[in-house]
Amino acid sequence: MEHEVKEEQGKLVVALRGDVDLGSSPAARQVLLECVGKGRDVVVDLSGVAYIDSSGVASLVEAFQSARRKGSRFGLAAVSDSALRVFRLARLDKVFTIHGTVADGLSHGSS
Amino acid sequence: MPDSATRSGSQASLEAHLELIAEMAEDFADSLDVDVTLARALERITRHLDAEAGSIFLLEPDDEQLVCRASTGPVDLAGLRLRRDEGVVGRAVRRNACELVRDVRKDPNFEASVDRETGFTTRSILCASLSVRDRSLGAIELINKRGGEGLFDDRDRGVLRTLAAAAGLAIQNARLAASLVEQERVRRELELAAEIQRSLLPARRPPPFPVFGTNSPARAVSGDFYEFLELPDGRIGFSIGDVSGKGINAALLMAKTASLYRCLAKSGAGPGALLGRINDEICDTATRGMFVTMVVGDYEPASRRVRLANAGHEPALVHRGNGSFVSVPAEAPPVGIGRDLVPGGVFPETELVLDDAALYLFTDGLTEAVVDGSPLGAEGVRELIAKSEALAPDARVDALVAPLAGKSQHDDLTVVLLEPRQRGGEMGESAARGETLLEMRIPARAARLAEVRRAVERAARAAGCSAECARDVVMAVDEACQNVIRHAYGGECDEPIELEIRRDGDRLVLRLRDHAPPVDPARVRPRDLDDVRPGGLGVHFIRELMDDTRFLPSPAGGGNLLQMIKRVC
Repeated sequence: MEHEVKEEQGKLVVALRGDVDLGSSPAARQVLLECVGKGRDVVVDLSGVAYIDSSGVASLVEAFQSARRKGSRFGLAAVSDSALRVFRLARLDKVFTIHGTVADGLSHGSS
Repeated sequence: MPDSATRSGSQASLEAHLELIAEMAEDFADSLDVDVTLARALERITRHLDAEAGSIFLLEPDDEQLVCRASTGPVDLAGLRLRRDEGVVGRAVRRNACELVRDVRKDPNFEASVDRETGFTTRSILCASLSVRDRSLGAIELINKRGGEGLFDDRDRGVLRTLAAAAGLAIQNARLAASLVEQERVRRELELAAEIQRSLLPARRPPPFPVFGTNSPARAVSGDFYEFLELPDGRIGFSIGDVSGKGINAALLMAKTASLYRCLAKSGAGPGALLGRINDEICDTATRGMFVTMVVGDYEPASRRVRLANAGHEPALVHRGNGSFVSVPAEAPPVGIGRDLVPGGVFPETELVLDDAALYLFTDGLTEAVVDGSPLGAEGVRELIAKSEALAPDARVDALVAPLAGKSQHDDLTVVLLEPRQRGGEMGESAARGETLLEMRIPARAARLAEVRRAVERAARAAGCSAECARDVVMAVDEACQNVIRHAYGGECDEPIELEIRRDGDRLVLRLRDHAPPVDPARVRPRDLDDVRPGGLGVHFIRELMDDTRFLPSPAGGGNLLQMIKRVC
């Protein structure tokens, strides 16, 4: 898995690419928590993620909870069908804020 | 110095008495044959007191007759029987004392008939009760002092009384030892009977076979039995029974009933007719007052149809795929009570189609097993079954009985399970029969999981899975591997994970094996969804994605064997 963090329209966009699995989710967790820790709104670009497992889902949940405590926004964008299925299995599809595209995520909540 | 001579003389004789007592005690301790030891003790005492003849009489178990068990001297009296109130011997026993008849001609109790028959002349008798506490076991009788007038005196009486007390105790000990030996012999015979009885139960067959049984006797031998056998027309016959009462008589009737079933089942008769014939046989020959509650059934694999006939036994319990239970109670009295209790001699039958259900038969040892101070009951049995549902059928029947068996168990425990559905029997069958799609072995390293996912996806697609179906299978295997790494091995290591995928019909059978210490399947449960630590979430995923998931019994060589089944779609 690779990752890239960009700042766009005042938000941090974290792009994950590749499989988020047992081997790579610790790295994903670290970068997500770092970004959330800055107190900034975060949009996670999942367009490059074809496979995410329970450990990847757990990393997203942890970052999501951390953002809520800080009062910042945390959204997922461009979620593939297979990743969406995993969120549904975990009954998290209604918990996460899921945007169709990164652009949707960036405009969300901004005035 | 007559005084000191007498003293040293009595000193010497006291030592001689003590030595004699010690020797007798040793004889009795060494020997398990009371008669041989009695003869030796009598020999010693007779010589010690310088008597012409001696005999030992013991009371028979009925306490009415005295029998001569050892005899020394010119006339052999061994085997001679006296009434317990007869002669000087009878008097010594009755009074539990030592009798001295200095001159027999002056004693009214003297029985002259023996002398008349033997030609022996009795002049003087010394006879001491073999006394243990307040009870007499018999008496030792000495006849005629050698030398002089041939008469015993008070000093002889004192000596014999002491020796008789020692002998009485020794006889008592020897009898106790003999009864212990007898108990041990009975115990060994019981063990042998138990072994033979165990061999009467059918040998367990591996999971493709749909019937599994287990029996845990409360004592060495059991009054319970179960049977199953393949019939010539393809049906599988099975039976469970519980003979009234416990112990050897119940065990013998159990052996008889089980043999009758096995023999008659081969005739091909249906369960109701079969039970009728068994009833007739048992009624003709069984001990009055003994009866057998039993269920006889047959199962037709092609239609999954089961017929049951229940003679006064615990209700059969059907556990459906959706988790609900249906009870099938007895509609006829136990066998062995009467020939004409069921119309036409055919017991009523109930017919069921099992499909995805499992059928449990058990004896009242299960329902009446005491758990935490109260009987398990029908509801408790259902809970127990539901709790062990995740286990493979053979492991499950054992798991039902194991926690109830042991010291506090007061009745025989027997469980029979008929499970034809995919979850049980056929699952093993498919894995054994199906075509192998993938076999791989990787070290328990996270970095190797991508490789596993690719291989599983290829295999699933090759088996005809849609992209979505293949994706589900990949995810389930991935999550299962993660659990092995994280929980079974406790972290990444170079221990192996072995994966095997077979296809049987429209199902993929996946087996994942590790070499870690056993995982308790009851503890591998999906967590609540608001607690998203990945481990519990992974198990939740697997259960959602696969049609069936369960741990199979630990394979030879240890480790855990997880089996997952997915219908190809």
